[in-house]
Amino acid sequence: MAMFAFELGFCFVATVAFAIIFNIPLRLVWWGGFIGVCTWAIYSLMPVLGLSLVFAAAVAAFFASFVSQWFARFMKVPVTTFSLPGIIPLIPGSRAYETMLAFVQERYLYGLEQGVETVLQAIAIAAGLVFAFSVFSIGKGVGQRYETHR
Amino acid sequence: MAMCLHAGQLMLRYGSETFRVEDTMRRMGRAAGMEQVNTFVTTTAIFLSFKSPVDQRDHIQMLRIDERYQDLSKVTSVNQLSREYVNGLLTSREVKKQLKEIEEAPMNYPVWFIYLASGIGGGAFSYLIGSSVMDMLPAALGGLVTAIALVRYQMRLKVKFFSEFLASFTGALIALLMVRMGLVINTNQVIIGTIIPLVPGVPLTNAVRDLMSGDLVAGVARGAEAAVSSMSIAGGVAVALTIFFV
Repeated sequence: MAMFAFELGFCFVATVAFAIIFNIPLRLVWWGGFIGVCTWAIYSLMPVLGLSLVFAAAVAAFFASFVSQWFARFMKVPVTTFSLPGIIPLIPGSRAYETMLAFVQERYLYGLEQGVETVLQAIAIAAGLVFAFSVFSIGKGVGQRYETHR
Repeated sequence: MAMCLHAGQLMLRYGSETFRVEDTMRRMGRAAGMEQVNTFVTTTAIFLSFKSPVDQRDHIQMLRIDERYQDLSKVTSVNQLSREYVNGLLTSREVKKQLKEIEEAPMNYPVWFIYLASGIGGGAFSYLIGSSVMDMLPAALGGLVTAIALVRYQMRLKVKFFSEFLASFTGALIALLMVRMGLVINTNQVIIGTIIPLVPGVPLTNAVRDLMSGDLVAGVARGAEAAVSSMSIAGGVAVALTIFFV
């Protein structure tokens, strides 16, 4: 439990640092850190309940994006200010590294396996973002298929 | 018109989503009394057309955006400015003056602070991957070196993708040197901490947002930008790994 709190603390530091790398104003940086911590908590607790990492990434990205949209509406600033640091902890850096290492060492099958997992996790993050965005634009109308209102 | 285009140019240059640029320009145009305002924004250009209420003629102008940076605080300030203008709190002269000020202002944080943030961010992020406290220091050092290398290479070479490649190569080389010297327990963790400040976060998230809001051209273009960036970073690490592991 203490380990987990430790992790969350470092996650906060990392997210705030990334918000500074993206040049986000100092008064908004802390909220990004808060979202990042929540995202990491979801992402690391869901596998404990027996769910897959990819699904956990999707749910965590959905949460990050949803809360960011909400904050952005509340504080009247662009959404990117919050969602960008929010999803930073989800980046599948370790997997990407394993993929490259495997390819460099000519272990192609293992590399493909890791590569597929990396891509899946990236897609899961994108899916989470998209889903939250869709929930927030309900009723505004983006790209319908049939023109039913004539 | 110049005001609208200027606002759009600043937002796009400093890393806003296409949808937000178009929306801001349309709102500002309406507030300035233009009729039939149409905007089309891609990742590299802005088009704005409208019918002038004065002479009843159509005007169209295009603006090419060559350089793109990541500075979300400037996007936030332009956004705030356009809100105030649309609500009638500012005149167009004041807006023009403030846009110029925003454009000429230095970065929100001094560059050494960004280096420091890259170091701290790399170190802290590496803990999330490898959970070894001992390796945080090498990772932080690597992140610092990578960020400095990126800015220096960009100043000299002025080629975005190549300097990303070189920066990730330099960072990975430093990290692997530390591994060779036996300072590192978890190689994986240190390399990730080194490379992570280079992640093209702005184009990635913007690509997803653009595709969702129907700006398909801009979305695909940004996705391609993010992909090329990631490829060059991965390439840099791969070359460094090849040198050390063969």
